[in-house]
Amino acid sequence: MTFHERLQAWRYNLVPDHIIGEILTKRWTDNAIPFLALLVTIGVFGTAIPGFFEPFSLLESTRQLGEFLIVVIGLTVVMLAGGIDLAVGSIFALAAFAAVAVFFIFELPTGVALLASIATGAVFGAINGYLIGYLRLRAFLTTLVTLVIGRAIYDILIVNYGSLIQMSSASSDVWDFIGDGAFSGFSVPVISALVLAVVAHVALTRSRPGWHILAVGGSRRSAHNSGIKVRQTVFMSYVISGLCAGFAGFLIACRLSGAGPGTGLNMEILAITAAVVGGNSLGGGRGSVAKSIMGAIIVLVMNNGLIRLGYGTGTNQMVLGIMLAAAVILDIRWLKNRHKVLNELYVAPIYHRMGETQSAVPDSGTPYALNNRIAHTEYIGLGELEGPEDVVLDKDDHLYCGTRHGEIVRFFAPDYKRSEIFAHTGGFPLGLAIDKDSNILSCVGAMGLYRISQKGEVKQLSAETNRSYTSIVDDARLRDPNDLDIAPDGKIYFTDSTTRYDAHDWAIDSIEGRPTGRLLVFDPATGETRTLLDNYRYANGVCMAHDGKSLFFAESWACRVHRYWLEGPKAGTAECVIKDMPGYPDNINRASDGNYWMAWLGMRTPSFDLALRHPGFRKRMSRRLPQDEWLFPNINTGGVVKFAGDGRIVETMGDLTGNSHPMVTSMREHKGYLYVGGILNNRIGRYKLENADPAWTGPRSYWGART
Amino acid sequence: MSLLDPLLDLFRGKAVTIPPMDGALRPNTLLDDSEVVIAALEPDNLAVLNGKLIYSSGTDVRQVSPRKTIGTFASPVTALAVSDAGALAVGLDDGTLLVGGKEIAGFNCITALAFHKDTLYVCNGSAGLAPSQWASDLMHRNTSGSVWQVDPATGNRRQLASGLAYAYGLVIDASAGRIVVSESWAHRLVSIPLSGGRATEVLPRLPAYPARITASETGYLLSLFAPLNRLVEFVLQEPDYRADMMREIDSRFWIAPSLSPSHSFLEPLQNGGVRSMGVHKPWSPTRSYGLVAELDHDFQPQASYHSRANGRFHGVTSALMLDGAIIAAAKGGNHIVRVAAAGGT
Repeated sequence: MTFHERLQAWRYNLVPDHIIGEILTKRWTDNAIPFLALLVTIGVFGTAIPGFFEPFSLLESTRQLGEFLIVVIGLTVVMLAGGIDLAVGSIFALAAFAAVAVFFIFELPTGVALLASIATGAVFGAINGYLIGYLRLRAFLTTLVTLVIGRAIYDILIVNYGSLIQMSSASSDVWDFIGDGAFSGFSVPVISALVLAVVAHVALTRSRPGWHILAVGGSRRSAHNSGIKVRQTVFMSYVISGLCAGFAGFLIACRLSGAGPGTGLNMEILAITAAVVGGNSLGGGRGSVAKSIMGAIIVLVMNNGLIRLGYGTGTNQMVLGIMLAAAVILDIRWLKNRHKVLNELYVAPIYHRMGETQSAVPDSGTPYALNNRIAHTEYIGLGELEGPEDVVLDKDDHLYCGTRHGEIVRFFAPDYKRSEIFAHTGGFPLGLAIDKDSNILSCVGAMGLYRISQKGEVKQLSAETNRSYTSIVDDARLRDPNDLDIAPDGKIYFTDSTTRYDAHDWAIDSIEGRPTGRLLVFDPATGETRTLLDNYRYANGVCMAHDGKSLFFAESWACRVHRYWLEGPKAGTAECVIKDMPGYPDNINRASDGNYWMAWLGMRTPSFDLALRHPGFRKRMSRRLPQDEWLFPNINTGGVVKFAGDGRIVETMGDLTGNSHPMVTSMREHKGYLYVGGILNNRIGRYKLENADPAWTGPRSYWGART
Repeated sequence: MSLLDPLLDLFRGKAVTIPPMDGALRPNTLLDDSEVVIAALEPDNLAVLNGKLIYSSGTDVRQVSPRKTIGTFASPVTALAVSDAGALAVGLDDGTLLVGGKEIAGFNCITALAFHKDTLYVCNGSAGLAPSQWASDLMHRNTSGSVWQVDPATGNRRQLASGLAYAYGLVIDASAGRIVVSESWAHRLVSIPLSGGRATEVLPRLPAYPARITASETGYLLSLFAPLNRLVEFVLQEPDYRADMMREIDSRFWIAPSLSPSHSFLEPLQNGGVRSMGVHKPWSPTRSYGLVAELDHDFQPQASYHSRANGRFHGVTSALMLDGAIIAAAKGGNHIVRVAAAGGT
C-alpha cells in the first residue's frame, strides 16, 4: 500500500463522514440556523452593552421575555395550524386593561383580575377562530380587523378610565409579587413561560390535538381526508393564541401596575418576527416551541439592545424587517433544498481493499470459471412476475416467490403454469423459508420478519432489534432484512443487510462500502430479536448447515461467506470459510449432495475494485453525477456456485448471455431441479440438474419425512 | 444560476454535464434498423475505389462486392483514401503511410487520410501513441494531434496544425479554402486554412466523439464513434484514479469510451445500465453507441442515425454516401450497414 493510499484509508475510515448525513436526516437540524443566530445575537449585544449579563439586568430582561414568549408560543400554535394572528398585540393590551380595571377600579382580588384577562383573551381568540375556522374568512384580513378594532377599543378605554386607575389605592402582595418578585432569580413570567413551553411542546409533539394542529397546517386537505376536524382545530388554535395573549397581558399589568397608550403597541410585529426568525414556517405545519423560544430571545435581545445602544425606533423597525425577510427567504430555501443537500451528503464512502481473486472468466481453469449452463432454463412466470428475489418449494412441490409489488405468489405443481397471489405483505418479500408447520417465513424488505400461514394470513414476527449505543439513525429498526433460515429448535436466524440504506437502495450500499450488516436471531418462544453479529459489508443469504449445528451467511460486498456456530466449542462465533470470490454472494441454500448452493448477484470488476480504494473518488462521484451514471459493481452478470461445508468450490454455473438470468439472487434445489430467481428479473428459471437426488426436497431435509 | 450558487458549489462540487442528444441529433433506431451490407471483423475505414466500396479490416483492405481482398499489410490498417486518379493511400498502425503500395512517409498515429488535387492530407491523432492506443491517449488527456500536407510524389510533408485533441477525421472544404477536422477529445469539429494555421471551431459541443468526415451531395457525413459519458468525463477529472486505472487495469476494462457493446463482465457498469425485468434501457448511460450525423454545407447537423445503448451497430468510425444511401462501418458492431438517407435539407 502506498503512503497516499494509506492516507486515504485513514482519512475516510477514521473520520466519520456518514454522521453528517445521518444528522441531516433529523428534523431538529432545522434549528441549526436559528440557534447560530441566537448565539451571534447574544454575543454581539452581550459585549456591546455593558452590564448585559448582570443578574438584575437579566432578571428584568427575562421578565419581559417571559411575557413575550407566552404571546409567541400562542402565535406559534396558530402558525403551525397554517394561520396567522395579527391581533395578539391588541388582545394583549385589552387583557392588560381588563386586569388593571378589575384590580384597581373594582378593587377585586388578583385572582379575579387574572380570570378577567384570560376571559378577554379567550373571547377575542374565539371571535377570530369562529370567523376564520368556521366562516372560513382569510386569517390575515380577519385578524387585521380584530387588531384595529381591539386597538380602538383599548384607546377609548384608556382615555376614559386611565385617570381612575392612577388614582386607585388598591394593592395586594400577590399582585406585587407577580410584578416584582422572583423565586431564586426566576420571576413569575419566566416560570409561567417555561411551564407553558414544556406543556405546549409535549402537546404539539406527543398528543392527538397537537398532531391535528400540525396536520392541518401541513396540508388542510389531507388532514380533512384523514378525518381530522379541520375547522374545529383552526378555531381552537386561535383560542389558544388568545388565551396566551390574555395571560401575558395579565403579567404585564402586574409588572407595570397600570396600562398606558403604548401597551402592546406593535407587539404583533415583534411576535411574528420572533416566530419566523426562530424557523417556524409561515406556510404552517413546520415548527416547534423550541424554535419560538429561540426566535423570541433573538428578537427581544435585538430590540432592547438597539434601544439601549441609543438607536431610534426607525432603526429598530428596519432591523426587524430585515431579519424577517432573511428568515422567510432562508426558510423557503432550506425547505426547498434540504433534501438535495441530504442527497448529496449522505453517501460517505470508506476505503476498502478487496483481496486478490481467482478469475471467473470462462475457460480460465479456476473453479469459479463461468459458463452458459443456466442461460437456457425453462421459464416460470415470464412476464407475470417482477422481482422474485427468493424462491422456495413446499412439500407438495408448489413454488413460492416474492414480487416487488409486495406479493407472495404461489405457482402450482407440477407444471407451474398456474399461479395465485398467496399473500400480500405490503413490502418487498426477499428471503423465504418454510417452517415445520408449513408456514412461509419471509424477510420483507424495509419492514421486517413475517410469517404467512398456509391460509395466507400475514403476521409480523419482528421489526426491530436492540439499538446500539452509538447509532444516530435508529438502528433498532430493521431497514433491509434480507434472508433467513430456521434452526432445528425453531429459532429464526436472519440478516439485516445495512443500516444506512433502505431496501430498494441496496445497490448504493456497495458504493459506500460501510460495514453495517447484521446477523440477528428471532426467538419465537420470547418473541424477541437480538443482534448476534454486526459490522458486515451487506450481510445477505443465510443457510443452516445440514447438521443444524452452524449456519452459513454471505457478506455480499466483501465477497465472503462466513460460518456462525450455534453449538460446539466455537458457539457464538463466526469464521470466514470462503473469501475473495470473484462474484458477490447472495442467498445460500442446501444442495441434495450435502453441499450448498450460493447465488452470485453480480461480478467484481477491476474498475470497481479500484474505486473501493479511492473513497474520495466515489464520494465526488456521488455528488457530481446523477445516480443513474454511478459506477456500480457489475450486477448484470451473476451465477450459481456450489460449495462444500469446508469452503471448497465444487462447481459454478452462469448465464453470460444475460438473456435469462443476468443477476441471480437465489436458487433452490427441489427433486432434481434447480429453481433460479433474481431480484431484478421477470422470471424464475427451472434447470434440470444432473447427478442430483431426484427425491430430495428442502422441507424434508429440514424437517424430516413426516412433513 | 442564483447568486448563492458559487458559494454553495464549494459544498456540492461541480456537476459533470455533457451536451444532450437533441435537435437533429435526437435518438432514433435508424442505424439498428438498417440493412446489413456485410458482416466483417472490425470494419474501419470505408472508401470507394474504381466505383466499388472498399473497407479496411484488421491488416486487410477488402472489397465488398464482389468479395475480395485488395491488399494485406504488415500492421493493421488505420486509414484509407483514394485519389481522383485512383491511387490508394493506406495508413498503418505502426505509422507507415503508403500510396499506391509505396511507402512515402512515416507518422505514428495515422487516423484519417484525404486527397485534394493530388495532395494528401493526413490526420496524425497523437504524437506518441498508435491509433490502437486511442483510449490511452484520451485517458492521458493528450492534445498532441496534428494535420499534415504530404506530396505523394516526393514524400515532402508540411505540418498545417498541431496541438489537436486527437485529430480523427478530415474533409477538404475547397470552396472555403479550409480543412475541417474532427477533434475527438474536444468533441468538436474545427477548421484549418488549407495553407495551414490556427484551428477555429466549426461545430462545438457534440454529444459524442467525432471520427471521420466525408463529403456528400447535401453536405457531409460525420461518424461519431462513441458517446460522451458523464462517468468517463468524471474520471477524466480524477487524476489519481485515472493514473491507478491505467497502471493496474487492462485497458479493455477501463472506464473509458468503447467501440463495442459490453463483451465481458469485467467491464465497468453504471447504475442506469443494469438490466431490469429483462430490459436493457436504450437511454441508459453507455460507453458505446452508434451514431452517424448528416451535416449541411456549413457543417451543421441536419439528421442523424443511431444505434442506442441496447443496439448492435456501435462504434461507427466511417460513413459515406453511395448511390443515395448512407453506408456506415460499425467497427464495434462488426458490420457494414446501409441506411436510406433521411435527406438532410
